[in-house]
Amino acid sequence: MRAKRENLFHLLEPLLPQVEHPARYLDHEWGSVQDQEGPFHLCMVYADVYEVGQPNLGVAILYNQVNEQEGMSCERCYLPWKDMAELMRGSGVPLLSLEGAAPLASFDAIGFTLAHELIATNVLEALDLAGIALTSAERDEDDPIILAGGPSAWNCEPLADVFDAVLLGDGEESIVEVCACIRDARAEGVPRAEVLRRLARVPGTYVPSLYEVRVDEGATRWGRAVPRAGEDVPQVVLKRCVNDFAATPPVAQRIVPYMGIVQDRLSLEVLRGCARGCRFCQAGMTYRPVRERPAEQVVSASVEGLLASGHNEISLTSLSTTDHSQCARILNDMNEALDGKGIRVSIPSQRLDSFGVEMAAAVAGGKRGGLTFAPEAGSQRLRDVINKNVSEEDLERAARNAFEGGWRRMKLYFMMGLPTETDEDVVGIARMAERVLEIGREVVGRGPKSGVSVSISVAVLVPKAYTAFQWAGQLHPDEVRRRQQLLLSEIRDRAIRVSYHDADVSLVEGALSKMGRAGFALVRRAWELGCSFDAWTSEFRFDLWCRAAEELGLDLADVACEEFPLSAALPWDHTSPGVSKGFLQREWLRAVEGVTTPDCTRESCVGCGVCPALHVRNVIQGVRS
Amino acid sequence: MTGQPYEGRPQDMPVKAELPRLRVEYVKDSRLAFLGHLDLIATVERCIRRARLPFSIGNGFARRLRIQFTQALPVGASSSCEYFDLRLTEPIEAEEALERLRRATPPALAPSRAAYVPGRLPALEAWLDRSTWELEALAAPYDARDAERGVREVLERGELTYLRGEKEKRVDVAATLAGFEARDVEGGVAMTLDTRLSGCALRPQVLLDAVADVLGTGRPRALRVRRTAQAHEENGRLVEPFGPFDQTGGTPLS
Ligand code: SF4
Repeated sequence: MRAKRENLFHLLEPLLPQVEHPARYLDHEWGSVQDQEGPFHLCMVYADVYEVGQPNLGVAILYNQVNEQEGMSCERCYLPWKDMAELMRGSGVPLLSLEGAAPLASFDAIGFTLAHELIATNVLEALDLAGIALTSAERDEDDPIILAGGPSAWNCEPLADVFDAVLLGDGEESIVEVCACIRDARAEGVPRAEVLRRLARVPGTYVPSLYEVRVDEGATRWGRAVPRAGEDVPQVVLKRCVNDFAATPPVAQRIVPYMGIVQDRLSLEVLRGCARGCRFCQAGMTYRPVRERPAEQVVSASVEGLLASGHNEISLTSLSTTDHSQCARILNDMNEALDGKGIRVSIPSQRLDSFGVEMAAAVAGGKRGGLTFAPEAGSQRLRDVINKNVSEEDLERAARNAFEGGWRRMKLYFMMGLPTETDEDVVGIARMAERVLEIGREVVGRGPKSGVSVSISVAVLVPKAYTAFQWAGQLHPDEVRRRQQLLLSEIRDRAIRVSYHDADVSLVEGALSKMGRAGFALVRRAWELGCSFDAWTSEFRFDLWCRAAEELGLDLADVACEEFPLSAALPWDHTSPGVSKGFLQREWLRAVEGVTTPDCTRESCVGCGVCPALHVRNVIQGVRS
Repeated sequence: MTGQPYEGRPQDMPVKAELPRLRVEYVKDSRLAFLGHLDLIATVERCIRRARLPFSIGNGFARRLRIQFTQALPVGASSSCEYFDLRLTEPIEAEEALERLRRATPPALAPSRAAYVPGRLPALEAWLDRSTWELEALAAPYDARDAERGVREVLERGELTYLRGEKEKRVDVAATLAGFEARDVEGGVAMTLDTRLSGCALRPQVLLDAVADVLGTGRPRALRVRRTAQAHEENGRLVEPFGPFDQTGGTPLS
């Protein structure tokens, strides 16, 4: 049943003195839209605490977009931390939106942002706190329509039972169409099931309940999803894509938080998409094509955004900012425009070549912290397998430039468990770290006072849907441990530090990435057993995930490490980012042979299929180097 | 306190004493009472940037604004009289600065007064050493007379210790308690507390917890705390935040 729309802040207020960081629940920030007239009400939920969710650009974009529409309002909601959730349950306070402090269950629609796989249990926690049924099938006629979108909507099958509809791809246009569709259908008084059918007709909208999973020949043991008999829905739902990206508002973040948040700065999305074609990278496949904003727009919008928000730092975000064809000019003009204002400019990651180091120097000012590179693999052979198009020379030159430029600490990111990986490749990681260290010592000098150090961080590959590695199995945890030991034993210099990404976490991610819709039983059971905030190392409970799997007769390693045949119908084949399966199959075969594939923003089209499928193209402002 | 070396953080150091020093009074109201001190500082800095005041930037690595704040309020306490001192690169009309700030600040932190103060006054945090608090204990299990008796007893003990996180804090009650009055009101007890800065600050909540302990009663259902005045104590006289800073009062000017 739809709850009454009313402001219940007075119920929350007495709890504030009893919780850690009450600032999480205050709302009323500068730039927030306090006027929430509706009559159509959407609430965007990021199912983690305020300081983690508030920086999310996706939420900000959709928030602005919906609030700008006549007759539509959009509020925000974050998941209360465990202390607050317990107090709320204890005193019967349901989950509330921030702006109107209205019960979530009173909204017309609720939109979850799926920022990563590990947010799954928090989605259930949010719905439960809100008093909304966990699955689409259990919901009443006039319950809110539960939507989802975001990067992890790619393979949202483990949560498919939860969502009434999933928005695939760029949401800035489709969110408004989806809201309008719900509004109109509700006004006509059509039954809920019919509302969902109409949603399925909005391009880019996937309505899971209209598909059923069939385990048949040609499918994996997790089956394939096909339209239910009699439902007029597409076999494959294609994503939405905003081709004229430069026409969208460059500064999405207009809310200035009171409390320190995870990325406490203004961010501006300078480009969308990446065509480098790393074969492990899901974002690289699902955000294509590449669309750059023009340099002038980036610079003027940055200055305006900083003045309007009062932030003292701006981050130029994207999947690969230094690939922007006008990157040097942008940074140069920004430095000029912001000189003397006490403002820091940052870019999220460094390209692994001299240009990357140059750009890092352009934003660093006088500061030289650590510099981060991601070679991903320890040998040229394996880097060719994953299509990480950097050579030994690139890396060595970049390292030399960085040490000469004043940096002393180098951080290198690697992955373990890449297809075809051998012990030699693992040992190669150690050799590469030593080589970088040696270059540092050559440039800066030997002896402990030189301050040269290298740290390497090694994650386990989680094969993701819509990548060339989607057929691969994850490396078995026993083998992960053996290779980790091997690497450790190869590191002899104390100026090299090694850290490993938690392999247990990767295993849960890996299992959920494989299972398709059957993953929901696992998520639900894990949540029932007490899992939430799984992305927080302090809260992640591997024992409970294992127990949940066991109760379902599953073994996490067994699920995650399973390889799929190249010809198999995959559990997520019915949704598509536009990249064709044929292209991914070819990429898999080339990977195994160690053949690289070029970047279509630098060389010609390599036939991934996105442009013809979506009638879009790469939009590059200058010439990429 | 004249002429002694400054002991605060380097970015608060009154370097560039010749830069105009604008003092701003503002409130901390309603739900923003729950904003912690560091978050408050960041928020005020953003308001100043939005107001486009000609603020001066420190020489430090972090390139912070040259700004000083008053003693942190306890989280949950509101105030009608918080202050910050901001160094500007050029003097603009105080009234205009106030108006610009007002337009760039959320209402719950609204600035109420602004004026230039002598550049060589000591750092705000140490200089404003007297506070007046209005407290309201809701559904208190004691009345006004008990509360006053309780405070006298706490005072006689001289020292008060309490735990803040893991750390034990010691408050010199005789030095920090400057006045206390209670009266019965509907729904509980209203109190006026005067505190003086001397070593570890006397927090209203801590004092009332100690009162409940010596009285052997439970604690009130809720305690509302509001700072209603701050001042500087000089030879037994109180100097208001905006002065007058006359020589006879002995306020150090250089
Ligand atoms: S279709 Fe061609 S040009 Fe377009 S993104 Fe794919 S590879 Fe690049």
